[in-house]
Amino acid sequence: MLQITNLHAEVDGKPILKGLTLTVNAGEVHAIMGPNGAGKSTLGYVLGGRPGYEVTGGTVTFAGQDLLDLPPHERAAAGLFLGFQYPVEIPGVSNVQFLRESLNSQRRARDEAPLSGAEFLKLARAQAGALEMDAEMLKRPVNVGFSGGEKKRNEMVQMGILNPKFAVLDETDSGLDIDALRIVGDGINRIMRAPDKAVLLITHYQRLLDYVKPDFVHVLADGRITRTGGPELAHELEAQGYAQVAA
Amino acid sequence: MSLKLRAMRRWLPKRMDTLTLPSARDEAWRWSDMATLEAAREIKRVAGHVGSTARIGDGPRLVFIDGYYDPDFSEPGDLTLERVEFTSTHPLGQFAAGQGYELRFPPASFTAPIEIEHVVVGEESHLPLRFVLDDDAVVSVVETYSGGGWSNRLSEFSLGKGARLMRAVRLLQDEGFVSIRDEASIGEAASYVATFLGAGGMGSRIDGFLRLDGVGAFAEMGGALLTRGEQKQEAAVAVHHAAIEGTSRQVWRAVAADASTASLAARAEVARHAQKTDGEQSLRGLLLKRTATINLKPELEIFADDVKCAHGATVGELDAKALFYMQSRGIPEPQAKALLTHAFVADALDRIGEESVRDAFKADADAWLEAAL
Repeated sequence: MLQITNLHAEVDGKPILKGLTLTVNAGEVHAIMGPNGAGKSTLGYVLGGRPGYEVTGGTVTFAGQDLLDLPPHERAAAGLFLGFQYPVEIPGVSNVQFLRESLNSQRRARDEAPLSGAEFLKLARAQAGALEMDAEMLKRPVNVGFSGGEKKRNEMVQMGILNPKFAVLDETDSGLDIDALRIVGDGINRIMRAPDKAVLLITHYQRLLDYVKPDFVHVLADGRITRTGGPELAHELEAQGYAQVAA
Repeated sequence: MSLKLRAMRRWLPKRMDTLTLPSARDEAWRWSDMATLEAAREIKRVAGHVGSTARIGDGPRLVFIDGYYDPDFSEPGDLTLERVEFTSTHPLGQFAAGQGYELRFPPASFTAPIEIEHVVVGEESHLPLRFVLDDDAVVSVVETYSGGGWSNRLSEFSLGKGARLMRAVRLLQDEGFVSIRDEASIGEAASYVATFLGAGGMGSRIDGFLRLDGVGAFAEMGGALLTRGEQKQEAAVAVHHAAIEGTSRQVWRAVAADASTASLAARAEVARHAQKTDGEQSLRGLLLKRTATINLKPELEIFADDVKCAHGATVGELDAKALFYMQSRGIPEPQAKALLTHAFVADALDRIGEESVRDAFKADADAWLEAAL
């Protein structure tokens, strides 16, 4: 589904990704772990197409297309979802308005009929309910006044509504208490655990992986993948630290 | 109110022989675009009625063509227009002085929203209007400027005890210049709220002086100026607290694209005896291009010692993080920019109480955004 080959990227002229290679097949969940500054979030932003994250080498193929050739909104329409580490507040734009515009933009790009207001609200309420988010929060401006945990939960509600093929989730577990972690973990499994979907979980800690069992765990250090293993690698990292394992 | 409308003949459009216009050297006029005003006078007249904007409700409608009341296009209902004389010393208001119209609203009367249309078909037009609200009268007015040329208006408002006036004014002329001079005297516990939208292709100066004369009066003047191309629009308004326990709000938003200029100057004056004043100013500008200019000037002049006056002024660009966030969810860049800009402008237009009027103004702002982005 996603094939990253020898990816190099820089931010403000500073090289961050230095030859990253990774293949994710449909039906798989991959976890990327690594120390601060290794390039984890940069990888997410490069895949999402954020301005300022410049690709200087390598290729990324997503569902048979050259992902790097697409503007961010076309990447979304092609089925990519980027869960933000710090979801952005948008005063004056309600969650409902934002998400309906998002979903219908994607549907139009795929030549599908846009959802009516009523159809959309039904879908949004169901997804909010599944993540135990108060439906009233859908009416509020996007992420404004939300706690850290509520923002992350809102990311998952968005993912449920947009129903992507491939999700890159950047530290979706940070800022969550134990109960919220379980709810978010269950949400990821419910929305994304399917034979035709895949997930790339970017995380610092093993704890989310208790809920969302990865098929592969990679260690990202200094802009490259330095080790790959199964779920046991996450436990090894937790026990011994990155310095020991990534070296 | 009995129907009493004199049949009026059409007057020849008024034309000033010589104009002495304010100079940019005068601080109060430093951002004014008097060159566009002068050029607007030379816009050729087009024959006949240039069409009018869609109706918002089914209340009375007053149509002024070239500054003269046109009974053929108007539906005044119970309203009575009296012809009265005006004087003014205001640099632009003085040109509109002379014969004009007065609308009186009796005590405790309630009038369905009045739609006033100012249609200009070229050259220049001048009109003085006076609104007199007796005690407890409630009036809502929607004003629309359309066509092209120089529209110069002098409006006076007198609000008796407990009266309420809600005004929404949209400047939608295709070209030319609109200059508005508003003067209001607001009585005890009366409320005056005016919201402006500059979303046409003309230059403009919205100039206002609101005086809170009665105890506990409320005054609000604000809105949104949207400029593009080389357009210049400006609001220069002042509220004067002359009595105790008055409240004033000045919420203005400016959005400037291309090489345009939007300027906002808002002043709050509090007289020595006007204790317990509650004043608030919020001036915010959004630059859609770095070649555009936004000037903001919040001013407070406070002589009383027991007052609460807050003010804020900021200019910025669209939030790049929010733009990427929206794009990452599938929203193309132009739509993402439009949503963010719409939200920015909505702050000011949300002050319009009447839902149908608010929706009409937001639709005008959206049409502007679609063309500008």
